[in-house]
Amino acid sequence: MSSRLRLLVTPLLLAGAAFLVVVLAHRGADRAELGVLATGSLAGRLREHVALCATSTALAVAVAVPAGVAATRPGWRRAGSALLFLANVGQAVPTIAVLALAFSVTGIGFRTAVIGLWAYSLLPVLRNTVAGLAGVDPAIAEAARGMGMSPAQVLLRVELPLAWPVLVAGIRTAAVVNVGTAALATFVGAGGLGALITVGLDNQRDRILYTGAALTALLALAVDWAVAALAELTTPTRR
Amino acid sequence: MIRYDHATKRYGPGPPALDGLTLEVPAGETCVLVGPSGGGKTTALKMVNRLVEPTSGRVLIDGRDVAAVDPVTLRRGIGYVIQQVGLFPHLDVAANVATVPRLLGWDRRRLDARVDELLDLVGLEPATYRHRRPDELSGGQRQRVGVARALAADPPILLMDEPFGAVDPVTRARLQDEFLRVQHTLRRTVVLVTHDIDEALRLGDRLAVLAIGGRLEQYGTPAEVLAGPATPFVADFVGAGRTLRRLDLLSASDALAPPAPAAAPAGGPAVAPTVSLAEVLATLLTTDAPCVRVVDDGVVAGIVTLDSIRAALAATAGPASRRTAPQAAIETEADVVVDDDGESVVSEGGEA
Repeated sequence: MSSRLRLLVTPLLLAGAAFLVVVLAHRGADRAELGVLATGSLAGRLREHVALCATSTALAVAVAVPAGVAATRPGWRRAGSALLFLANVGQAVPTIAVLALAFSVTGIGFRTAVIGLWAYSLLPVLRNTVAGLAGVDPAIAEAARGMGMSPAQVLLRVELPLAWPVLVAGIRTAAVVNVGTAALATFVGAGGLGALITVGLDNQRDRILYTGAALTALLALAVDWAVAALAELTTPTRR
Repeated sequence: MIRYDHATKRYGPGPPALDGLTLEVPAGETCVLVGPSGGGKTTALKMVNRLVEPTSGRVLIDGRDVAAVDPVTLRRGIGYVIQQVGLFPHLDVAANVATVPRLLGWDRRRLDARVDELLDLVGLEPATYRHRRPDELSGGQRQRVGVARALAADPPILLMDEPFGAVDPVTRARLQDEFLRVQHTLRRTVVLVTHDIDEALRLGDRLAVLAIGGRLEQYGTPAEVLAGPATPFVADFVGAGRTLRRLDLLSASDALAPPAPAAAPAGGPAVAPTVSLAEVLATLLTTDAPCVRVVDDGVVAGIVTLDSIRAALAATAGPASRRTAPQAAIETEADVVVDDDGESVVSEGGEA
């Protein structure tokens, strides 16, 4: 019950904090700063940022979950460990380098940033999918088979529901990390809240810099809340 | 009817897990596969629903090789109760019980009615338990749900792998009683695995005693196995309490001596002919009477004395059991030791 309550309180606190940030950003700002920090322009940056994160996280889930499922099927274990190795390498390369690599292939823009973020968020989802499925009691999976479920039914009705809390924790990590990483998207011309930070740095306007940083942090918290709420509402054992 | 035809399973080199098992389980009977760990009991069980495929040999159901049947179709027609129950922890009791009917595409109304019927059958009040989750149930209740789930689609065959292993001895005895009651009315063909010889003797119409290496040592009714263990292994496995167990299976009418009015005063102890010889013996030991009168519908049918009990044992005994019968009769029955996992272990050397 207390976790449900927290789920309701968190968005109110976050909305209040965002309102406060915008009010403080506008108070005493000069004309040049107001141009960048106008509510409409902030909303545009926020939209870009959310679009980057949502697209890249969704693509990561779309690739990593099936890959994780495949990696845990009998006969595919070796392919699975190769896949995990690749994802680990991807994670070890600094984000900015991933972005630079993607830039050299696809040039400037939204697509490049999404590719970089996607590559970076594959690992947490993949790792947790594999860990979640591997953590399902084999006796329960065998009971399901023994009662006449097809392999697909065992996966969809038993294994994935039981692995879900671990799997969704991986999505949560990926989504939250993506919000922070997407602040770098501005270097490949994809905008986002990171643009505020670079503008602030370049022009020595701390007000703009701090506003961008604060909004990014609040967005990360909001995404964390959203995925947690999704997990809470969809975890089968709590229905 | 289930028939094993030289069914063998090898996992790599070394002795096989199951070695050329050949036996037949008649329809409507309970066959208990019993033996120590490593005897291939579970392997043999899982061959019936193709969770294990034989390396060589066949398993036939009603004359049909199971290898020729699609495993998914095959399994939906066979009830399966697994070790540690294996309920789906993310589903409530009703959804667990309804697993197979749902796979078979039953409609909602039929499903709900069936779930209630089955919960009643295994002694769980449907209104109370339908929406409980497995982790809200006691061990015994979980076992009951496991049995209800296996019976859900009314399968003619039931496979039970240590179905009563995960509960305390008192609950286990109660579940065994209920199993016997349910099986008495439903008459399914049951293959049940246990390492507990007492459970095997209690539940089985027939026992298959398997030794390490997957060899079938003996296949017979409980009375046959107790009275005439086919090999030293079986004699050892059945243990020192064998004679007392045989007395459980024999009744007063099996040890009748002609009534001798002088030896049986009217005031002495009397029993019905169906009472087990174990109880008669207890009566003899706890009263001063030299004999117990067997009274059937008010008529004295005869008397039972220590000598007549001895004679009844000798008359039904196989060659291997004769040498120790008199001594074993006065030994305690405490040949089953419960280790700290709650699993019973047959003690060594009790027979020697």
